[in-house]
Amino acid sequence: MIEQFKEWYVNRHAYARQWKERTGGKVIGTFCTYVPEEILVAANMLPARILGSHEPQDVTEPHIFGMFCPFCRDSLAQGLKGRFNYLDGVVLAHSCIHFRQTFNSWRIHLPVEFSYYIPMPNTVQTDHARPYHREEVEKFKKAIEEYIGRPLTDSDIDRGIASADRNRRLLRKAYEYRKLDNPPLTGEEAMFMATTSQFIDKEEHSDAVEATLNSFANRKLPRETGIRLMAVGSENDDAEFFKMVESVGSTVVIDEQCAGSRYFWNESTANGDRLARIANRYLDRPPCPVKDYPTHSRFQHVLNLAKDYRAQGAIIMQEKFCDPHEGDNPRLKKYLEENGIPTLSLEFDSTNPLGPFRIRVEAFLETIRGEELF
Amino acid sequence: MITTGIDVGAKTVKVVLMEDGKIRGKAKVLSGFDQEESAREALEQALKEAGLAREAIGSIVTTGNGRKAISFAKGDVTEARAAALGAVFLYPTARTVIDVGAEESRAIKCDATGKVLDFAVNEKCAAGSGAFTEAMARALEVPLEELGPLSLKATQTIPMNAQCAVFAESEVISLIHSKTEKADIARAVHDGLSSRVVAMVRRVGLDSELVLIGGVAHNPGFVESFKRTVGLDDVRTAAEPDFVGAIGAALAAAE
Amino acid sequence: MATPTKYPTAPLKCWPKAKEIRQQYYKDYAEAHDRGGIRWSGGAWAFDAVPMGLGDDVHVMTGEPYAASIAWDRKFAQECQDATDAKGWARDLCSYMRIYWGSMYLNRFFFGGEFPKPDFYYQSQICCSHSKWDQEASLHEKVPYFCVDVCVGPYETLDESRLNYVVKQLHDSIAGMEKATGRKYDDEKLIAAVHNECRSTSLWAEICTLNKAVPAPLDEKTMFSLYVLATLQRSSKQVADYYEELRDEVKDRVARGIAAVPYERCRIITDTQPPWGFLKIYRYMEQFGVVSVGSVYTFGLEGIFAEQEDGSWGPRKTPQQLGIKIKTRDEALRVTADWNLSRPCWQHFYDPRIKTRMMLKMVKEWKINGVILHLNRGCEGLTLGSMENRLGLIEAGVPVMTYEGNMADEKEFDERRTTSRIESFMETLGLKQIPEAAVAHAA
Repeated sequence: MIEQFKEWYVNRHAYARQWKERTGGKVIGTFCTYVPEEILVAANMLPARILGSHEPQDVTEPHIFGMFCPFCRDSLAQGLKGRFNYLDGVVLAHSCIHFRQTFNSWRIHLPVEFSYYIPMPNTVQTDHARPYHREEVEKFKKAIEEYIGRPLTDSDIDRGIASADRNRRLLRKAYEYRKLDNPPLTGEEAMFMATTSQFIDKEEHSDAVEATLNSFANRKLPRETGIRLMAVGSENDDAEFFKMVESVGSTVVIDEQCAGSRYFWNESTANGDRLARIANRYLDRPPCPVKDYPTHSRFQHVLNLAKDYRAQGAIIMQEKFCDPHEGDNPRLKKYLEENGIPTLSLEFDSTNPLGPFRIRVEAFLETIRGEELF
Repeated sequence: MITTGIDVGAKTVKVVLMEDGKIRGKAKVLSGFDQEESAREALEQALKEAGLAREAIGSIVTTGNGRKAISFAKGDVTEARAAALGAVFLYPTARTVIDVGAEESRAIKCDATGKVLDFAVNEKCAAGSGAFTEAMARALEVPLEELGPLSLKATQTIPMNAQCAVFAESEVISLIHSKTEKADIARAVHDGLSSRVVAMVRRVGLDSELVLIGGVAHNPGFVESFKRTVGLDDVRTAAEPDFVGAIGAALAAAE
Repeated sequence: MATPTKYPTAPLKCWPKAKEIRQQYYKDYAEAHDRGGIRWSGGAWAFDAVPMGLGDDVHVMTGEPYAASIAWDRKFAQECQDATDAKGWARDLCSYMRIYWGSMYLNRFFFGGEFPKPDFYYQSQICCSHSKWDQEASLHEKVPYFCVDVCVGPYETLDESRLNYVVKQLHDSIAGMEKATGRKYDDEKLIAAVHNECRSTSLWAEICTLNKAVPAPLDEKTMFSLYVLATLQRSSKQVADYYEELRDEVKDRVARGIAAVPYERCRIITDTQPPWGFLKIYRYMEQFGVVSVGSVYTFGLEGIFAEQEDGSWGPRKTPQQLGIKIKTRDEALRVTADWNLSRPCWQHFYDPRIKTRMMLKMVKEWKINGVILHLNRGCEGLTLGSMENRLGLIEAGVPVMTYEGNMADEKEFDERRTTSRIESFMETLGLKQIPEAAVAHAA
């Protein structure tokens, strides 16, 4: 059951190719997690999020200068190495300047049939973002209609919404199990489950989540839960890291990351017409710090998660050079600590130097346990 | 006329004496605190090797990191220019010169006359230069000159995940503790370095005849890894890679 | 070698006045409260005409030029950055922001006394760092923060809905300012400020356009001290008037063939903020007969350009020049929104190809031989897409050199290596040092 997600995670490109062959549909690369996937699903397309590989690479130097985050470079490297050569299109909804470079270099050097940039509002907190973003979602829908050569009907859109919401709802349910004293899934497994929802066919993924939920009743992990941790941060689908953390006496029980909960946390709600419903869903989701203005609305959400999942500590995973997160983290760290959640800050460069990290994580767990060091 | 090129590098000073397009003498000494003194010493040695007196030599041109520090030189040329001139002199078909030194590495695109057309330099980062292998050899407790041969014995390729020299050092130590073979770690070190160097080379383009120069080109482990990383078998390594800059400077002195 | 042509040079007459305006600006800001006035802080890209409606005694201090001033003082700059590091902020964040925060945390104003606390922060939101900058500053100073999201895509795709989004936020910001200051907003003052904003930024574009002349009447190092006035307060009448005076003087220099660099024989453009503590690299290039005539940065950070009737690049016509009379608050806000959204330095935030096109236009019309790109580790916003610009220029056959540095953190700039790299680039361009220029430089 749950092994399926890891397999998809590892073989995502083979999956996408097979999907394409099987359905005859288009595969659209999505950049960041603000692209209104409902529209793509409505058009029978497969939204596949562009992510990195966590391997060292040497191909992006001519395109993105080394002061930009390793994740944006790692992701572009996947394109330059031809691993995404099945894509029919690419779409970015405005996020950080780092990832916009990945998108731009991609559309310049890796031509696809369809490329689209959505100027998604940056200040999601202003009411004016709502009518504006609805218009932008509508423009995007029109562009897709033009590309596929047919209009998307209301029932197409409804199907897109229902499909995306079903997946979100099921993932929330799966995360509920992580609240248990002994969660039936590890943080690493949860990561595979959440991250794959960003590039596997929504219905297929939902079916797999549903089946996995049914299996949880009888699933007992042959391991101690240990210290309950939360992972907070930038784009961090660092499986090897989670595996290491969970091998030294802890379990990651909740995350606040775009490879995880930030992506699927909220379903859409009926507020206005169909397109407003879609647009508002992205404005109302737990924000990436790049969009969280003028106040830090995200902090309260992070703390609520920590409390609801009874996290005893939080690892703040900082992608090096990620300005939006770097601009939040010192205050977020203070906020969590003032509210009784100790933190460990680690800087990631998309590859995972496990040795140095293990030492830090072990020391962090020791302080939480209150162990005497000597 | 005998012209002299002095390459005042971060780690060593190299001197080459040339006459009518032929190398008459050369010498290499460690760069001390006083670069001028080291340059003098190297020059003396080269003269001795050539059996020449100080008076026999004409103009002296310097290059390298300390090129401005040598008061007895007529002038100086940039490292890129010297590397290109030297490389094209030795290998007339060379159009891309990759110079990996102790402290800095660079990739140079040039024409048939050794004129620099474009170049890229590794930025302020030890992980892209010889200093990286030195630090890693220390962590591995292997003499630097044995690191290359050792890595050729590697049986598997493991990624060097840390991209920064400081982190890489602690990663090497973790690998040692996890009983990874030293040879495999040595290969990982060279892969890490060559990935940095290749990334830089890609800035000028990886398309024409390549020549590897600079002290690090002595290291067979690096050369092997470099070939694997760029996916080219045909990468020439200069016979005495650390003297190419000095040859270029000596040629410039004749201009 | 034949002695190269030497053009006549002359100091800029209105130079001292620019310095005076700048000094007065910081003094006014520091003293505003003593006179019962209002002060606000924020970015040089904030809609600075908008707070002007609060009264004639409203004074602003924009963060970037303030931090750049500090960058000249390497010791204080370092102290400020250390103070910011000590609060746990990452060292790779915007170096202006780190300096500004440090000055604020230390409660030390660069121009003497305590750090003047603003009544509110006002910022436009296009750069990830800008938005965080004033968010943090407003939290630290416990004053309101108004940010206006301008991420509505490149100007060439602007439509009614996108413009409205910005305009509606501007309306909201006025309501917020009235509440924060207890003042009643005066639309007439806003209209005058918008008028001055358009005037000063169009004039600056006109001045830059005059630099198409050979020899160039201005070099970029000089332009750095002049464009800065628009970053301080482009909506002020004083700045607009100053640019008019400057425009006339530069026109006169062109007519008389006055050069900025006596041995001009090679013209380049650069990009992004230079390492402020090391402007001597520009003087070094002069020894090779190289003049930098500007950059998308010096031109378009504040200058507002538009395609002219003949297809060339030049100043955008102001509403007044077009005979448009602004009558209401809404009209004024629409004008300022549209005007600012056309800013050249905002376009590459969406697509580097738009900036490459601008650069190629400059290469052609300003008669450029080569381009030097500063890969500025201190500013993600303006370095965004630089490597793609490089590829685009090379594809078009333009020689390009890059160097790494940081506009305000000297730890990330290596003077020797940069000079060496410039020397190699000069060789690539076929240039040797001009002995006469080197002598003049040494003197």
